[in-house]
Amino acid sequence: MEFKIKKETFLKALHKVQGIIETRKTMPILSNVFIEAHADGIDVTATDLEVGMKSSYAATVTKPGKVTISAKKIYEILKELPDSEIYFSTRENDWIDLRCGKAQFNIVGLSPDEFPYFPKTDDCTFIKLDSSILNSMVEKTAYAICHDETKYSLNGVFIKAAEKDGKIVLKMVATDGHRLAITEREFDGILTKELQKGVIFPKKGIYEIKRITDDDPGEVLLSFMDNSSIIRKGNTTMVMRLVDGDFPDYTRVLPVSNTKTAIINCSNFLHTLKRISILSSDKFKGIRLELQNGNMEISANNPELGEARESMEVKYEGENIAMRFNAKYFIDVLSVIEESDVELNLKDELSPAILKPLNSNEFLSVIMPMHL
Amino acid sequence: MEKNRIIMHIDMNAFFASVEQQNNPALRGKPVAVIGSAKRTIITTSSYEARAYGVKTGMTVWEAKQKCPEISLVVGDNRKYTYTSAQIMKIMLQFTPLVEVFSIDEAFLDLSGSIALFTSAERIAYLLKAQINHHFGIHCSIGIAPNKLLAKLASDMEKPDGLTVIRPEEATEVLERIPTGELCGIGAKTARQLALYGIKSCGELGRFPVEILRKRFGIIGERLHFMGLGVDDSPVIPAGDAEEVKSVGHSMTLERDISDRREILKNILQLSEMVGRRARRYNVYGKTITLSIRYADFDTSVGRQETLSCHINQSEDIYKAATCILDNLVLLQPIRLLGVRLSNLRYESNQLPLFSEERRKTFLVDAMDKVNNRYGDFTVTFGSLLDGNNKGSYVISPAWRPDGIRNVDVK
Repeated sequence: MEFKIKKETFLKALHKVQGIIETRKTMPILSNVFIEAHADGIDVTATDLEVGMKSSYAATVTKPGKVTISAKKIYEILKELPDSEIYFSTRENDWIDLRCGKAQFNIVGLSPDEFPYFPKTDDCTFIKLDSSILNSMVEKTAYAICHDETKYSLNGVFIKAAEKDGKIVLKMVATDGHRLAITEREFDGILTKELQKGVIFPKKGIYEIKRITDDDPGEVLLSFMDNSSIIRKGNTTMVMRLVDGDFPDYTRVLPVSNTKTAIINCSNFLHTLKRISILSSDKFKGIRLELQNGNMEISANNPELGEARESMEVKYEGENIAMRFNAKYFIDVLSVIEESDVELNLKDELSPAILKPLNSNEFLSVIMPMHL
Repeated sequence: MEKNRIIMHIDMNAFFASVEQQNNPALRGKPVAVIGSAKRTIITTSSYEARAYGVKTGMTVWEAKQKCPEISLVVGDNRKYTYTSAQIMKIMLQFTPLVEVFSIDEAFLDLSGSIALFTSAERIAYLLKAQINHHFGIHCSIGIAPNKLLAKLASDMEKPDGLTVIRPEEATEVLERIPTGELCGIGAKTARQLALYGIKSCGELGRFPVEILRKRFGIIGERLHFMGLGVDDSPVIPAGDAEEVKSVGHSMTLERDISDRREILKNILQLSEMVGRRARRYNVYGKTITLSIRYADFDTSVGRQETLSCHINQSEDIYKAATCILDNLVLLQPIRLLGVRLSNLRYESNQLPLFSEERRKTFLVDAMDKVNNRYGDFTVTFGSLLDGNNKGSYVISPAWRPDGIRNVDVK
């Protein structure tokens, strides 16, 4: 195998798979990236058996072939090489020679035969999604994914399509058992049976979807195969194994009788929370939120540091209410809201709160308070 | 570390027995032994009068009666001891804020800054002795030295009611002939290992090449070397500055050796509830559960731990994790002692769960805790624990402290 490629292109290719490769070293081959050269260019593939990614790049191939090499090492090397042409070739026993200018590297590779099979996706029927919409939906939910691996059905984002008022909407839901984020958008694709039933995309796959759609408009293709989902964007194809489990019935936790409503300026709210929560250390994360007629006070106190309080004008006309929350849950939500005002709906001290953009049905989050 | 520190170590003499003698005048001046409340108990402390007959801590009641037929046996009342201890520690705070409670009957005081107010460390020692004796009728042995190591050694030199001063310039001479095992921190096992190198006294330990000690004992090797020289930089750490508590645990010796699974589980549940209650009271959550077991032959024991994926402090979750460990063990003998420990701790606020089943569980545990706080532990508890036996902590652990999470409410 032998090819010539621009450093910039090769670096981009390796950068893209860094998030995929397995770092836990249970199977050495999974820390490697699979490079295949064919007449039209090269394919770069990485997988951790849960999420796999394959991208094609232009290169001048003189001899086709395939090899695997440590994804981390070659990325580190490429980063430090000058901007010029890179010559990549293999010798017997999967040794790799890499030349750039006067620099020369001889690197040990692993046999490509050991690399896991990457499914062929050419025959799949794809649904088209708008890249920026998908990106925004992931952004609005991903932070709420649960990291506790024993609650595996919560370790991802639940995606489901349903008919609503004669139109098809795509919903994404994530929860960690303390807060929940739900977003929905109209889409004009087909209602596949997987989407109708609802599927759970794994956490890692969700982060990768976010990465490939960041600052990159256009369209994303989505399909399902066996227990996996296939996502294609430009020259990149991702295959991710769906989380096998039942997502809890989130509709049951959506509060229906939160009648105390405050309308708050989003950016003021966010910055106040960021300031005040500095004094709610790791040990005592809570902030206190108190609503009175036309006014909201946010305060924090920490026996080791001191206390902080700030009040702000809000639209509120209900009874006085004081609750304690984890400030992070609010900051996460407010950080992804683009609208200028938000609506906070409360019931009582021990019931979940709803936080959502004012006059919008596309995004909603439910946040559970802390015990006073 | 500032030079020329003045450190005092105070050791209450025959603490439990003295408290009992003070409490009941009829016992004063007589041989008294404090025993546990369990069926198979041993002597926890004996008065100096009883010690004269050869009664020692750790003897069975039968052995003690052999040595001293007229001995009075008193079942220990741990509440009395923890209360008295806390009061005595308060007296010490009059002389310096730097009081480190070392155990229920021992404390270190850093007097370096107090001399200007009280003229001398000896004077403070006499004032303390007088006050403690006046209020509680208890004698104590006091050691004064430039560091904690020597202060503790000094207080051990004269008992009861002693006062020993080791001045900095005397340290080398004093240590020359002291056996290594007398130093706090060198146990029987280490002393035996040192003896294999021909090291018997602290003087010899100090002169022994430190490289060999380091090779044999690791980091401790260097510590041993300095201990032999009588050098100890460790500060006196007052309660507020103490390191964060690293674990919450309870263990208990069972009334009889058990091997029936149902019975073992019941005891694990009880311990889990004790651990959970204490963790919840101080808002700590732990990620690692340790189950320790000591077998009937007294010598062999096992301790296994399991790290979970999230932090817990509900008794039920602790019980489940401990049971899981038990299920992976092959028990070799009937069990004499069981212990459950929660570590890898994190302080957390009381975030409520979003899903209602979990939320109901949290509210239930909360309600139970509230009832038990008011009417006593185990007033409301798991059905399988309702057997009419008294439950709770009956032993003051070495980690007991007058306040904070280590203040176990002992019975």
